[in-house]
Amino acid sequence: MLSEAAIKELNEIRQKYPDASAALLPALYIAQREFGYLGADAYEAVSNALGVPKAIARGVGTFYAMYKHKPMGRHVVQLCTNVSCMILGAEKLSDFLKNKYGLEPGGTTPDKRFSLVIMECIGACGTAPAMLLNDDFYENLTEKYIEEILEKYK
Amino acid sequence: MITITINNKEIKLEKPVTVLEAARSAGIKIPTLCWHEQLEKYGGCRLCLVEIAKVPRLQTACTLMAADGMVVRTETEQIANVRRGILEFLLINHPLDCPYCDKAGECELQDLVEKYGPAKGRYKEKKRKVPESLEDPVIVRNMGRCIMCTRCVRMCRGLQGAAAIDVISRGGHSHIEPFSGGKYDCEYCGNCISVCPVGATMSRLHRHGYRPWQMVNETETICPYCGVGCTLIVQVRDDMIKRVVPRIGSVVNNGLLCTRGRFGYEFVGSKERLTKPLIRIAPKLSADSYQLTANLFREATWEEAISLVAKKLSEIKEKYGNSAIAGIASPRCTNEDNYIFQKFMRVALGTNNIDSAARTGFAGAQNFIENIFGQGATANIIPGLSNSDLVFVAGGDPTTVNPILGLQIRACSRNGGNILTIGNFKGIEYCSPQKLAPVLYTEDVLLEGIVTALKNKKGLSGANPKLEAKIKDISTSIEDVKNICKIKEKDFNEFLNILSESTNPSIVIGKETTQSNGASYHLLLLSAINYLINGRIYLLSDRANEQGLLDMGCAPDILPGYRPVSYMEFRRRYESIWKSEIPEKQGLTIFEMIDTARNGSLKAMYVMGENPAYNLPDSKSAESVLKNIEFLVVQDIFLTETGRLADVVLPALSWAEKDGTFTNMERRIQRVRKAVNREGMEDWRIISEIAKNMGEKFNYSNVEDIFNEICKASPLHKNLTYEDIEKGEGIYPYKGEPLRDVMEEIRFQFPGSRSQGSDGKLYLRVERPLFHSGTLSRKSSALMKIYPHAVARINDKTANMLALQNGEMVRVSSKKGSMELPVIIDDMVDSSYVMLTNNFEGKGAFSLLAYQIDPVTKAPIIADMEVSIIKGRLKK
Repeated sequence: MLSEAAIKELNEIRQKYPDASAALLPALYIAQREFGYLGADAYEAVSNALGVPKAIARGVGTFYAMYKHKPMGRHVVQLCTNVSCMILGAEKLSDFLKNKYGLEPGGTTPDKRFSLVIMECIGACGTAPAMLLNDDFYENLTEKYIEEILEKYK
Repeated sequence: MITITINNKEIKLEKPVTVLEAARSAGIKIPTLCWHEQLEKYGGCRLCLVEIAKVPRLQTACTLMAADGMVVRTETEQIANVRRGILEFLLINHPLDCPYCDKAGECELQDLVEKYGPAKGRYKEKKRKVPESLEDPVIVRNMGRCIMCTRCVRMCRGLQGAAAIDVISRGGHSHIEPFSGGKYDCEYCGNCISVCPVGATMSRLHRHGYRPWQMVNETETICPYCGVGCTLIVQVRDDMIKRVVPRIGSVVNNGLLCTRGRFGYEFVGSKERLTKPLIRIAPKLSADSYQLTANLFREATWEEAISLVAKKLSEIKEKYGNSAIAGIASPRCTNEDNYIFQKFMRVALGTNNIDSAARTGFAGAQNFIENIFGQGATANIIPGLSNSDLVFVAGGDPTTVNPILGLQIRACSRNGGNILTIGNFKGIEYCSPQKLAPVLYTEDVLLEGIVTALKNKKGLSGANPKLEAKIKDISTSIEDVKNICKIKEKDFNEFLNILSESTNPSIVIGKETTQSNGASYHLLLLSAINYLINGRIYLLSDRANEQGLLDMGCAPDILPGYRPVSYMEFRRRYESIWKSEIPEKQGLTIFEMIDTARNGSLKAMYVMGENPAYNLPDSKSAESVLKNIEFLVVQDIFLTETGRLADVVLPALSWAEKDGTFTNMERRIQRVRKAVNREGMEDWRIISEIAKNMGEKFNYSNVEDIFNEICKASPLHKNLTYEDIEKGEGIYPYKGEPLRDVMEEIRFQFPGSRSQGSDGKLYLRVERPLFHSGTLSRKSSALMKIYPHAVARINDKTANMLALQNGEMVRVSSKKGSMELPVIIDDMVDSSYVMLTNNFEGKGAFSLLAYQIDPVTKAPIIADMEVSIIKGRLKK
């Protein structure tokens, strides 16, 4: 079930589009935020709220790779490993996350605290390596700095 | 006028069409995979690429509009190379398991590769492997074979309007799935199967039992289930129905079918079919004592059974008089069967005691509406619904009662029409209907409110003074609608604005209205609305020949052609043709028959293709009456609940095994054709044999003889022939004369004292499921797999109050009885009622119902039945 606030937000978004199916993408983001990922419950909730058949909601959602299609940890680390970040050691950082926290690319820690998503360029090449943690942006990463940052997210 | 040259052939086009359509109209075939004549254009498969002069690149013929002066080539070396290339790509992942695939022989991919090649592909990697999905009882999905043409998705979303499947994921991972990923849990229309060009989506019913080139014959006939009358192609081998498919271009259903039509045929080949006449040897027990059946009857020869029936009926007629015998005709039997049946009752037995299950709603409602608007008022063309600008639905979900008619309502919505409903109907939810859902049993107040507001807004034209006199008396304020029906003024006004502004509206009326408390008043109000908005009425009909049986005179008050038996002029007409006297006295309705039998003055009944011990409200009471009647003949294809009470059971041939005609709810007469051979006699032949045994002249050698007699006798069907019907001229009002001048006063009855759904009690309503039809669908294993057992549908509030989980067993009881069954929590159900079906053995909702009769429509009122639900099973 979507929270009342989410349904309100969804209805507001709905007004900006000519028809319900056009509002699917932002609606799915809201559902993803509420449910943590897009699964059957999230699709059904969006379908009920927008009046778009649930199979279509799922068809649209599964088309896009940037939605989360499986359950995620409480905090999502999105690490860039594109050219600049890679040259400046992003792959080592990825190994560090694996060794230190058991966090593999695409995986989730056993305590469901973190999930790691390897993502493409986030436009921070000048201050690489960079990552997003939930909606927060971090740059000039080192192993020590990452450790400090992750400490802030329980 | 557009002139276009395709392959050096000049083609003149009246209206703008695509290059593909232009080519097809000239008989030039362009290969296609994603294109389908019924579906939205897609341009995805690229096989229809053609060369256009002066255009540098190949173009897809399916999406390119033909322009004046265009020069097109459809088969050049370049095109063949491209097509071969595309097919090579398609075959990268296609498993090429043709020897094992049911589609082989009618596979469009197979045919195209055979034509263009390549014989061998260059792809060296491994093929994508997707296991066959057998999670669904009816549809087998084989995504390895899928070529992503998305015809099924466009069919499901566009024409069926169900949107149960979609393309999941993308690129090389794309596949097509229902929402669950496994079971479809959809409407199971199977229209996705019809359009799949390869073997990716197929029917499980004939899995590995069907090779297209081995079909011995194909017969075009009419569906035996509901009143829509869809055209079916029945494909047969070894006298077994192997598959049922639709035909593109057929008038009523144009290439579409519903679940019952497509998957419901297995009853024909059921092992439980009756084969020999049965004569009772043991005393009558209740119909539930099914296990004892084997010892109840002995098999008899036809000669013995026929002479026994003839003798007993003659004796009873002699001893107690003509009116001691009654007959129940069948809306599942053909016009010819029903004509012979009523002629037998009137001529051989001398009684008008003939009626049918049409009395449970359809007959009375039609009579009522025709009395206001003239005969044929409900004979409206079904595809016309999609051209309406508004469809107003009351009293039943058209998508479950008459699914193909329901699709026309969905089409109307897609075409921009408005859908208004009184109440919640799951099947039209995706049309985003404007809904007014009044508190249970207050619908009449809402309708009064609508009539009042419409009258004030539009005024009366004076065209129908008789109806206007009644409309003038109707006056209900918006306050009443708000307070009694619990409807918001804003919703009401919005609804009314849409209703009053429509220019081409249709009104669809279902059984819940025709069986409501004050049915005739409800019908008056709906007629008033129809009159005020100048609409046309569709009366839902759940049996294939409900209309036909009435037109054949299987009713206590009418002769064939819907002519009143009370008019001497009509009686004389039939007397001169039948060379026999016709009783003047109106006969008994089906409910009066039960009552008269209960008080002992009705001694014998002849039941043809009907199951009154189960299908009538208060069925247990009907059963006990039928058990005690002196002589009961049941003629059917299965040993039904009623058959188990019979003295003589006569096995009939089923719909697939006989010729004849059905008249659908549009009053269109269509040919039913024999598809399967089986030993036995048609209903009309059995009755004719009995009549002959009684000394009557019933000499018919085939159905055409009967049909010709009908068209000689009935003024409505005058001069109609089988040839006319085949030419598509079986459309009302035929060539004959509709009856327009017998107009009685409009009589109606207000709803009696009644409960209101807001009183906190729980009432019983009857669910009319898409997957079942009477008790016939029990014998079709596919339908039973989709909807396997009876359930009680309740609202989540009711479930919370009783602490019930989905699937938990409950005991539903009324003053008439009780039954145990699992609950389903359904959000379309309101907390004021529980819904039960009347389809499953021993679990019929009708056994919990008491009824009264509406004095005008003579239909049963089955509202106001209070029930209770208790958690758990009864302790034994």
